[in-house]
Amino acid sequence: MSTAAMERKRLIARYAIEHEENLEVVTCFEGETRRQQLSKVAPRVETLSHVHPAAIWFERKMHEDFGIEIEGAFDTRPLAHHETIAYQCHPMRKHRTDTTVETVTHRSYDYETVEGEGVFQVGVGPIHAGIIEPGHFHFSQAGEEMLHLEVRHFYKYRAIEKMLEGKTLWEAKPIIERISGNASIAYQLCWRDIVVQSSGAILPEAARRYHAMLLELERAIHHLTDVGFIPNDAGFAAALAFASTLAEDARRQMQVLSAHRFGFGAIDFESKTFDSRQMRAWLKRLEEQVEQFHTWIGDIPSLWDRLDGTGILPYAKAVKYDCVGVVARASGVKLDRRDNDFYRAHGFLFQREKSGDVAARFKLRLAELRNSIEMMHHFADDSSWRCEILQPLRDGEYTAYCESALGELFMTITLKGGRIERCFVRDPSFVNWQALHLMMSGNIIADFPLINKSCDLSYAGNDL
Amino acid sequence: MLRFWKRRAKIGVLTEDKPYAQEMAAIRKEIKSRVHKHFAGSLAIRMVDSGSCNACEAECNALSNPYYNLESLGIYFVASPRHADLLLLSGVVTSNMLPHLLDAYAQIPEPKWVVTIGDCPLMQAPFEKSFAIAGPASAHLPVAYHISGCPPSPDEIIKGLLGFLRTL
Repeated sequence: MSTAAMERKRLIARYAIEHEENLEVVTCFEGETRRQQLSKVAPRVETLSHVHPAAIWFERKMHEDFGIEIEGAFDTRPLAHHETIAYQCHPMRKHRTDTTVETVTHRSYDYETVEGEGVFQVGVGPIHAGIIEPGHFHFSQAGEEMLHLEVRHFYKYRAIEKMLEGKTLWEAKPIIERISGNASIAYQLCWRDIVVQSSGAILPEAARRYHAMLLELERAIHHLTDVGFIPNDAGFAAALAFASTLAEDARRQMQVLSAHRFGFGAIDFESKTFDSRQMRAWLKRLEEQVEQFHTWIGDIPSLWDRLDGTGILPYAKAVKYDCVGVVARASGVKLDRRDNDFYRAHGFLFQREKSGDVAARFKLRLAELRNSIEMMHHFADDSSWRCEILQPLRDGEYTAYCESALGELFMTITLKGGRIERCFVRDPSFVNWQALHLMMSGNIIADFPLINKSCDLSYAGNDL
Repeated sequence: MLRFWKRRAKIGVLTEDKPYAQEMAAIRKEIKSRVHKHFAGSLAIRMVDSGSCNACEAECNALSNPYYNLESLGIYFVASPRHADLLLLSGVVTSNMLPHLLDAYAQIPEPKWVVTIGDCPLMQAPFEKSFAIAGPASAHLPVAYHISGCPPSPDEIIKGLLGFLRTL
């Protein structure tokens, strides 16, 4: 093993900040943050993509947002700036306002393809055959077998990072909670942690319990949806019919608790009253139904024939691509932001699988779902609490993490004069999407939807 | 297997229930008759997400669960715009999605309608106009009806679809 590989730490995020005098590139690794100062004249930075392949999207984004040259990069194509956004317009630079960014009629994009006799290309999306978010999948095919897949996203690119600049944390909240609707609670928890850090407040244990309960409920909704959709993509629609009613019940429970089906506006610093008896009764019913579902689904050999051994992500590759969340844990990676004393005291059990295939991700979702139900029992504490946020918030650079239903969410906000100077968000899907193509080799294109669904990645959070 | 069917029989039919049952039953009945009148019993929807937060999609997916069972009203989501009567549009219409959205609209055979869903297409969601956003939707497409909400719940979407059918 080379020294570089031995010293390798997990890459969490890489992004740039513009200061008055210079540009700064921040690279967050697990347990270490490296900072490089660059001149505003011809800024350059060396690529990390040879050790961390998943660095390439961060770097492509940094290049188009700030005009930083990436030395030694194997891929310098635009990322979020599609055909109609002018090349090299660098919208994240401070002197750029929305109106000064040029648009063009068309600029073509070269897909990564495999060429050869009989090899053909299949382009799918951005609009897919169903109620799904937009994204493009470009396959190089040898007959039915997938040789290569390029994932091209950012169709939902709304330039939210830029939109948030100049706002107070309170003005930014309605936007932050709508970056990715099905992970809204997780986004709000990162926002909460940043408010808490910048105000120096201490969040009472009861508040943390209530918020953690909402997060586990969000995870339960997510996993319930997935354990229905995964078998559905293998042609077993009955599972979706059953699981989707449980997901709907859970969504209605979110409405009961937070007065919103997705929990928009649920996280703040006010104590809420809720009926913990009703909550526990619902949890008990859900637990029984999940057990029912499990015994039923576990005993359908023709379904497991499709799930077993399909779309394998080996452990070494999951580590190499710095994967997070269910995708990483299904391949045996020990990584969960909830793996701490607070969660363990409330029933958290670390779950992982070894085989890294669709079956592993499916089983892991079921296991995590049961653990979430168990934890919600512990978190369902209706005692009231008080938390005062002292204004004004202190300026500085704050970072927050949250284990969303999709994996580790990372958010950093720099406050200057009480307003957002820079906000960078790395959705868990941003790294996991980059590993999706690794699961395709040896599989047929008809299994792509199944593999994709088993990872259930976010488009809205990724594209931002 | 037998055990499964026994349990299945015990669960019974889940479609529709609870407080709004009467109101929803009347709405569903009216939708069914209007779909029958205007669309020969089947209204095909092609949903396009042009940059939403994904909550509107989740709610449209929920319409297919056994509680709402939208297909029983003769309304379903189709895979191709060429099979559709209606384009259901969510999201702020990002610059990156605009050409694809117009493409999908062009592929829908006449007569066709555009119905927007959620606060985004009207630019009434918290998202502000930016260089990456080409909304509102009405600047690019003839919008026939709007279903508001952030996101509208499945019940609100059903009511909204009735509202649209009443305009015909």
